[in-house]
Parts: sequence; structure tokens; C-alpha cells
Amino acid sequence: MAIVAQQTKLSKILWPVLAWAVALIIFFPIAYMVMTSFKTDADAVKPELLFTFTPTLENYANMTENYDYWRFASNSIITSVAATLFTLFVAIPCAYAMAFTPSRGTKDILMWMLSTKMLPAAAVLYPMIYMTKAAGLYDTHFLIIMVLSLINLPIVIWMLFTYFKDIPKDIIEAAKMDGVNTWGEVREVLIPLAWGGIASTALLCFIFCWNEAYWTVRLTTTEAATLSKLIEGNRAPEGLFFGRLSAVSTAAVGPIVVLGWFCQKQLVQGLTFGAVK
Amino acid sequence: MGRIVLENVQKTFGEAEVIPPLDLTIEDGEFAVFVGPSGCGKSTLLRLIAGLEEVTSGAIKIDGADVTQVPPSKRGLAMVFQSYALYPHMTVRKNIGFPLRMAKMEQAEIDAKVEQAASVLNLKDYLDRKPGQLSGGQRQRVAIGRAIVREPEAFLFDEPLSNLDAALRVGMRMEISELHNKLNTTMIYVTHDQVEAMTMANKIVVLQAGVIEQVGSPLELYRTPRNRFVAGFIGSPKMNFIDGDAAEKLGGHSVGIRPEHIDVVEGGLWQGRVGVAEHLGSDTFFHVHDTGLAETITVRAIGDVSLRHGDTIGLSPRMDELHRFDAKGLRI
Amino acid sequence: MANRTVPRLLQTPAVVLLLFWMLVPLSMTLFFSFIRYVLNNLRRPEWTSPSIENWRGFGNYQYVWNQDSFWLAIQNSLIIVCGILFLTVAFGIAIAILINRNFPGRGIVRVMLISPFFVMPAVNAVLWINMLLDPVLGLQGIAVAGINDIISGLREAPLVGGFFSLWPEFSPISFRGAQASSYAVIMMVTWQWTPFAVLIFMTSLQSEDQQQKEAAVLDGASAWNQFRFLTLPHLGRPIAIVVMIQAIFHLSLYAEIEIVSRGSGNKNLPYYIGELVNNNIGAASATGIFAVILANIVAIFLLRMIGKTLME
Repeated sequence: MAIVAQQTKLSKILWPVLAWAVALIIFFPIAYMVMTSFKTDADAVKPELLFTFTPTLENYANMTENYDYWRFASNSIITSVAATLFTLFVAIPCAYAMAFTPSRGTKDILMWMLSTKMLPAAAVLYPMIYMTKAAGLYDTHFLIIMVLSLINLPIVIWMLFTYFKDIPKDIIEAAKMDGVNTWGEVREVLIPLAWGGIASTALLCFIFCWNEAYWTVRLTTTEAATLSKLIEGNRAPEGLFFGRLSAVSTAAVGPIVVLGWFCQKQLVQGLTFGAVK
Repeated sequence: MGRIVLENVQKTFGEAEVIPPLDLTIEDGEFAVFVGPSGCGKSTLLRLIAGLEEVTSGAIKIDGADVTQVPPSKRGLAMVFQSYALYPHMTVRKNIGFPLRMAKMEQAEIDAKVEQAASVLNLKDYLDRKPGQLSGGQRQRVAIGRAIVREPEAFLFDEPLSNLDAALRVGMRMEISELHNKLNTTMIYVTHDQVEAMTMANKIVVLQAGVIEQVGSPLELYRTPRNRFVAGFIGSPKMNFIDGDAAEKLGGHSVGIRPEHIDVVEGGLWQGRVGVAEHLGSDTFFHVHDTGLAETITVRAIGDVSLRHGDTIGLSPRMDELHRFDAKGLRI
Repeated sequence: MANRTVPRLLQTPAVVLLLFWMLVPLSMTLFFSFIRYVLNNLRRPEWTSPSIENWRGFGNYQYVWNQDSFWLAIQNSLIIVCGILFLTVAFGIAIAILINRNFPGRGIVRVMLISPFFVMPAVNAVLWINMLLDPVLGLQGIAVAGINDIISGLREAPLVGGFFSLWPEFSPISFRGAQASSYAVIMMVTWQWTPFAVLIFMTSLQSEDQQQKEAAVLDGASAWNQFRFLTLPHLGRPIAIVVMIQAIFHLSLYAEIEIVSRGSGNKNLPYYIGELVNNNIGAASATGIFAVILANIVAIFLLRMIGKTLME
């Protein structure tokens, strides 16, 4: 018994120390980026100023001048918000029908939807460029909104499906008996009941849209270019601009990382389709 | 008015025939109970009447009108679910008023009706709470309230008491019976508990594997069960069954006798040894072995009879209360 | 009864959209893969627009098949995906077990651990390749220079100087070129996706039956045996899910490769296609079809493995 107790005592100290160490190492790149964003470009590359420096807001103040940050940011906001709303608008009725009136094909449809996620985007890159240029849609908000919606639709439907499945069927049937039509069921019962699930699905969809870096890079030039495109365009290794690059990067990811903190739990349920609880 | 007639109603799920074609009439104002072991199709039958399931063939008529193709809400029926199915995001007031709001009734009228239902069901103090803050019995009342305000042709109850504890169940049983007396509306009630069926029903429908075994008043079923299944299902404790030679001597392929129809007398017709004795005070139940009739014969004696485990016991069946069945299990 | 039509109607928009998304561009790719189609060709201007006249049959496929760079791209795709999968699962399990206990500040540790997952891939790549891995200005360069400084300092020192003078000067690795670029990509994506694995494994660990563990302790199972015979089997399903979801995402990695090496390093399949698209559409399309086939092989394999457990 004594040995067991000693072991626990040792691990009581060691364990948290180890956990904190790992967390700090993993978080370090982000912290380093945020730190650097408060240094001048010149200070940023001086090893002796790694941790001790005079913080400046100059990089943030000059973000618009250096990178035209707000133009890209507003494109990101417009496309991500619109794509999230549109995706939900299409996905909610679909997931609702699948969860409450499943037929024999439902499972297959869900699997098929997931499989469209596996279609390599690169395989259809040229046709997308070709079609959108022909239709005059290349580099427009509309195009990016549609593409972001389509690539997120399967996962959003899956997530909503798993949330809706948890709603007791009795309640929907009670509503049917109470004289509610289909639209009423969605509006009066489903949305209020699944509000938490819908909100976190929306949040996650928004994050995915915001971070998307294939289509937003390949299907835009200037008009609809998002933050991904901005950062990708400033990938240069010159290194003389670490300070300002860090600032614009921090501004691009900061809000999303904070949003992400709020939906950790939903992320698990959503991305594992309810299979891990 | 709420006369419900099922004509040749059949339900299949894919290959499986859950309910073979059956006919059933429930008269206006009746309290009909569907009873049977779990999986016998009683809930499916109720859901067919409600319109929550489609019939495969046959017709359902309410007051003479064919409602087979009518959606659930247009059939004039109200249903109380096993899980109560309250809307968790609405207050009690909103829950009860919901069907009226869906029917586009004036708000003032809705309020009046909700108040009225709440006073009938003793819910007045809880109207502004949400279902999550209520006890099981209170939730049950809200579910009933939601049904009452619609003034339906008939109420459908799907095992409404099975989520309540034993004491509450007895209370709610009384309340529902009283409600029926007060409203005099047709009620159809599904349960697997034969005690509920016996205490509440005017008419009991015993189902097994989707087939109606017998329809009748509680006492009809108790006195003259049509077959061995009904005989065994109705009554508590269960009827004793005697098979083989001993049964032949009594005039049937098998013979049943209820525990309350056997008297404990010294030097009775049957002799046995007491196994487990349950002394309840008002009654005593003996599980008697070694009678040569069946593995165990259950006997009910009135009052406290002081026989203990291992004692010899003499039993005297009341011969006019014997139920005789033929080889197919039908009553002779 | 209207029972069936309403649900169908509700599903229609989603199904039609996805069907369009899947079929229309893909059938165009299929068509382009069978014709000669090159964007810039002065000698044969008729090849610069898609036309059935330029039918080439399986010529594009043959051409791609015989390119070494194609096979290199496939090999790289697989190395990158498998490397990331292995590392994220291993780190994920270790870290999940590490923080599956109560200790002071656990909430903050969790928040720090999950953060990399929400960093946009473009920022991730720029951050790593420039500020962390750059051989001169990045932390790597600074660290290597620092170590070299210390060693050269020690060379001057009495007693041990002789020993340290045998040491070579360390030189930093350039992650922008050739093979090392794959390692850089694996590193940065592993950093980004380990939190995802941690999150899922941790959720799963919390549902592990504690009484079962206590029974095992009474049965005399060591910590390792508890892990081996109880925890690992319990994690089977989450591992499968982590593998499937990551495979979906990582087979189409693009931005990271683009930013790390701008094509001078090792390419994966999507990047290879991206380069061909600049001129040789026929070959790009044939490669695209190969990519679809590869994805399907992986998908069938994964969906078979996981599909059933997802539904219930």
C-alpha cells in the first residue's frame, strides 16, 4: 500500500508538470506569432530580442496600408457568413427529413454525401475554372459562397442529422397530432429544440469556410479574394517582414481560434457523427 | 361523438405482418383498453388509429366518416404519449395552448381554455414553469391538459403511466377514470398492465401477436375467458393451469383455476406442501408444491393463515369456478 | 398519403446540389482526359480549345503513367498522409491520456491544446516555414546558431576545449527543398491536427468504464496491461474515425505544399495536378481521374471499416 501511495504522490506533481509542458510546447507557435506581431520588422529577426522587446502596435496600425487587410477580411466575412447561412438553409430540411422520416435509402444517401467529401478537389479544378470563367462567375462572391456551401454541405447535414436523431420522435408526433404542418414542425419544435446543435454546427461550418484554402486560392484573383489568399500571397521567405506578417496572420486567425474554443465539445460530436460521446 | 370502427385493418412492415386484418368497434363514450404482452401490436394499433402510421389495407372510420387518408391532426383525436412528449422549450401554459394556437384560435379564447384545463388538472400554480421543472405526475397532467383543450372526439393514451412510480400510478389511474366520467368522451388506452385494464376499462381488447384474442368487459374476461391465453393474462395472481391426466379427470384437455377460487381446508380434495408463503395481512398467498397437479399451485387465503414453509396443506377447489380448455386452448 | 413525398421534397435541394457538384465537373474532367487539350501551343493552335476532334483515347493516361514525377507525387501523397496519420494518432493518444486526469489549470491546458486546430492552413504554413523552420531567420536558424556559438565558446575553454574542438559546426536544415519539404508539411499538419485527435480520444476516454478498470487493478493488471487490454480496444472506434476524417482532409492538402516549397520540393498529387493545369489540361485531367481512383480505393476501404459503426 505504501508503494502505491508514494507513486500517486510523485505522479501528482509530475503529471501536471508534464501536461503543462506539452500544452506550452504545442501552444508556443501561436504565442510566438502573437508576440512577434508586437515587434517591429527589424526587431522580429533579432535573436537577442526573442522574449524581451518593446511592444508596438505599429504593425496593426499599418495593416491596411501594408496588406489591404480589411478588403480581404470583409471578403472572408461575406463569403463565410453567406455560405454558412445558405448551407444551413439547405441542410436543415434535409437532415430533418432524414432523422424523422427515414426510409431504406436514407443510410445510403448519407454515406454517398460523405463520399462526395472524398472527391479530390484537384481532379475537378480545371473544369471549375473553365466553367466559372465561361459563366462570368470567376472571382465573384457568389461563386465562393456556392463552392464553400457545397464542400461543407455533407458534413453539416451529418452533424445536424446526429443532433436531430437525439430529439425524441414522440415530440414530433405530438406536434403532428396538435395540428402542425411540416414547416410548423421545423419552426415551432425542431429549431427551438435543436437550437444548441444548430448553433454549434453553424459555428463550425463558419470556421471551415473561413479557413478554406484550396478553392478560395484557386478561384479568386482580387475581387473575392479571402484572407487565405492574402496570406498565401505573402508566403515569401524574405523574412524582413516577420512583424507585419505576424500581425496580419494574428488578425486572420485570432477571432476564429477564440470561436473555436467555444465549440470544442460540439466539434467532437459533430465531426465524429455522434459516434464518440 | 366518437365512434371508432376498424374494418379489415392490416399493417405490415416490409415482410413482417404486425397486424393481420382485424375488425373492431369502439362505441362512443367507451373507455377501451388495449392490453397484451409487449410486442403484441397494441401500440401499433393505436398509432394506426391516430394516423401516425399508415394502414397497409382496410379502413378506419370515426363517426361514420372514413379517415384512413386523413392526416393525424384532422382526425379530431388527441394523444397522450408514454414519454409525455411535452415541448421542453415552452412553458406549461404554452404547451397546453399549443394545439389551439395551431388551430389559429383567438389568444383570449386560448387563455380561457388553458386556465380551465389547468384548474381541472390542478396545474394552476405551475402554468409559467417549463416541463423540466415539473415532477413526473405533473408532466403527465400537462400532457393530458394539452389533449383536453382540443375537445377531441376521442383520447388516445399510449402507456401513459409506465414512467411513473407505483404510488403515483394508482393516483393517476383514478384521475384518468374520473376524467372519463366527467367528460364522457371515448378513450382508448394502451397498456401491458392488466391491473390498469381491469380497473379502468368498460371494454378490454386483449391482443397477442397482432390478433385480437377477446373483446369484452373486465368481468366478462375474468369470468369467461375465451381461451387459455386470456385466462392466463387476466387476473392476479395468475390462474393455475393443470395439464395431463389430472386435467382429464376434471373434464378438459387443460383446466384452469384462479388462486382465489381454491379454499384452504384440512383434508381437502388436493394435498400439498407449502413452498413460499406470502403473508400480506389481508391475504395470504401460498405457493404449494407436490400436489401432483402442476409444479406449483398458487392459492389465495383470506386473512392471515398461519401455515409456514414445509407445512402440509389441504386445498379444496370450487368446482363451479373451473375453466376447461380443449387441445387448442379454446374454452369448452 | 403525402407521408413519403414531403420528406423527399425536403431532401431534394441538398441531393440535387451535391449531385451537380459531383457529376458535372467530374464528367468534364473525364472528357478532357481523353482529348488533346493544351492551353498554349503555337504549333498546334487547334489543341488550345476543348473539342472532340482532338480525341486522344488513353494517350493522356499513358503519358501520365510514364512520368516519373507522377509516381513521385503519388508516393509523396501517401508518405505525407500516412506520416501525419501515424503521428497524430500516437501523439493524440499520449496527450489524451496525459490530460485525462484532474490537475490544476486543466481547463487552460485544454484551450491551449485545441488552439492549433483552428488556425487557418495558410497561416499555419507561413508561420512554420518562415518563423519557425527558416534556416537563417526562423527559430531553427536562431537555435542552431545559438548552439554553434556555445560550442565555439567551449572550444576556448580549458580542460574540455580539446573535446569540443572535435565537434563539427551544426548547419541548419532547409525545409524548402526536395525531400525535407515533405517533412515540413508533415510537421505543420501534425501540429494542427494532433489537437483534433486529442479532443476525440479524450472524449472517448471519459466514457471508459471505471469499474472495469478497478476490476482489472484487483485482477492484478499493470498500468501497461490496462492500457493494452482495456484502453486501446476502447479507443478502437475513435481511432478509426480520426483516421477516416484526416484521410479525407489530407489527401487534398494543397496550401501547405504551395507555401512551403512553391513547387521546388516534393509535390503531392493535388499539387502536381495544379501545376499541369497551367498548361496541359489533358494530362491534368487524366491525373485527376487517377486521383479520383486513388481516393475511391481509400474511401471504400475506410467506409467499409467505419460506415456501419457510424449508423448506430
